[in-house]
Amino acid sequence: MTTTRALPPPFDPELGAALAAMADSLPPAVTPDMIPALRQRGAGPRTTDDELRRDGRFSIEERAVPGLDGDPDISLLICRPTAPTGTLGCLYHVHGGGMFLGDNRTGVPQMLLDWAEEFNLVVVSVEYRLAPETQHPGPVHDCYAGLLWTAEHAGELGFDPDRLMIAGASAGGGLAAAVALMVRDLGGPALLGQMLIYPMLDDRNNTPSALQMAGLGIWDYTANQTGWGALLGDAAGGPDVSPYAAPARAEDLSGLPPAFVEVGSAETFRDEDVAYASRIWQAGGQAELHVWPGAFHGFDMTMPTAQISRDARRARVAWLNRLFNA
Amino acid sequence: MNELAARLAALDADAGAALQVIAYFDSLVEGRAGLQSIVRGAAVLAGCPARLDDDARRVHIRMLPDGIAAPLPGPADGSWPGQPVGTAMLRLERAGEPGPVDAMVLERATGAAGAVLDRTRGRAPARDPAAVELVVDASAPADVRLQAARRLGLPVHGTAYAVALASGECRLAAAGTPAPTTRAGIGPAVPLLDLPESHRAARTALRFAAEGTDEDPGETSVHFEELGALAVLAAVPHPAGVPDVRALEHAAGGASWVLTTLHAVASTSSLRAAATVLCLHHSTLQDRIGHAEHLLGWSVREPQGRLRLQLALTLRRLHRHPS
Repeated sequence: MTTTRALPPPFDPELGAALAAMADSLPPAVTPDMIPALRQRGAGPRTTDDELRRDGRFSIEERAVPGLDGDPDISLLICRPTAPTGTLGCLYHVHGGGMFLGDNRTGVPQMLLDWAEEFNLVVVSVEYRLAPETQHPGPVHDCYAGLLWTAEHAGELGFDPDRLMIAGASAGGGLAAAVALMVRDLGGPALLGQMLIYPMLDDRNNTPSALQMAGLGIWDYTANQTGWGALLGDAAGGPDVSPYAAPARAEDLSGLPPAFVEVGSAETFRDEDVAYASRIWQAGGQAELHVWPGAFHGFDMTMPTAQISRDARRARVAWLNRLFNA
Repeated sequence: MNELAARLAALDADAGAALQVIAYFDSLVEGRAGLQSIVRGAAVLAGCPARLDDDARRVHIRMLPDGIAAPLPGPADGSWPGQPVGTAMLRLERAGEPGPVDAMVLERATGAAGAVLDRTRGRAPARDPAAVELVVDASAPADVRLQAARRLGLPVHGTAYAVALASGECRLAAAGTPAPTTRAGIGPAVPLLDLPESHRAARTALRFAAEGTDEDPGETSVHFEELGALAVLAAVPHPAGVPDVRALEHAAGGASWVLTTLHAVASTSSLRAAATVLCLHHSTLQDRIGHAEHLLGWSVREPQGRLRLQLALTLRRLHRHPS
């Protein structure tokens, strides 16, 4: 018997055009042997302090804080508004990069500082240790330890501890969801919300969307296998994976802070992210789910000018507005 | 910073950039993207505002390089690089000559936009002689004429002009759109309800338009407004009977070069300029003028004689193109 793979949903026209134009430099598949080259390319023009300061509207600091249970110190990038117009909150950020790429400045100037200015937020971004050099639970422990330190130092940083949220995109979204689970289970600091932007949640990598989009778009089945393999080694996809590594594994999704879940319809993570939001509702929680039609993974970063990218950014801001101001 | 635009900037003038631009717009067409996406693509890839104007279909789209739709700040600047497609014009709001990537962006975006315009906004209004006839008929009711003008794609609150063609056909066009380059008389741009006047003026101007041949040298398209007082000559009942016209016809029979030579003398500011226009040596021209003057019976090198020549040439043309 032969099975035929379902046709993938078409890409949004503008996103598809960007993909066609950049096909040579954005391969859908990433294999472990490509990690060093990808890290080298990503290390290109690092976000400068001046970009983060935004003409003095932010003060910035890299602070070394203790790791969890005797782990090595971790570094937090702290960006504080110098002239806030209201009560400060805090956005605790976990960067993306497939578990093996990126640093705590990734994505900060493009998106987080706009929100920080609009909603009076201190941005704290954690430099967690990367896989495969550090496998689970090192990365998520670093993220959790950074959150503990941040909450404990709300007074020093000047924000209201009741206005602390966590956010992350891609692997950062998966780690953010995992930190929210740890907070619930370990009695950590209360979170006002969790913003999960196309989060990487399920190491089993076997949903219809993961199979349907293999070889297409950005971060396909093979790339996902590479990311989970880096974090979990041979345990990836096996029976004993912790929900703190892969939040989709959690049996219980009750008692979590309100979630914003966003994903593209044309990406590997579509079905695991939709399922995560559904399971939060089924467990009596609050979630807002956006599935952007024809969007591939990271579409808003690859083609920020596309109409659908603009619409996605607006939806995030609208949620933040309800979270902090409503 | 937009990743794609940044990469294109880095690749500027490189064959790689052109290929990426081609891939981008081909994919937009394949994905059946709309006009906004196409104009946005042009703005993003060129890194400057882009606009698509189609007066006939009343389509005006302007996009900034960060992908935001922006209102039109005013009419397009004629110096911006642009490319027409049907009745539409796609322009990049940038001074000076387009760079190689700009040129490719213009070409590809224009092609994509033309297909979408035809698919989604209907074909540009076909020339509809009955509608034109109605618009230029001053005795028809105003609302009916305006309706017909709208059907023709004319700007209801703007101005338009009439064009009279040698075939007898009349065309109407929004002010600012280019006039035809074939033999034509062009009326002044007026509010739509005044088009009958523009049409009358265009028909008059057409009589002053030459065929541009040795037999009928002169400007092939004539704007009524540029005729000034010459327009009254159109009222002369029998131009061929004017003695100077008869003398001109007599001279024309003397040699094949007479009319073109006399036209050049009458329409340039010096004999040297006339010699350049005719590609003749100055002394050859002097000889020819002497010969022509002998046939004509008056000197064309004095202001008075030049005026007589100009009038004779004009009246001869009016005789050739009766109303």
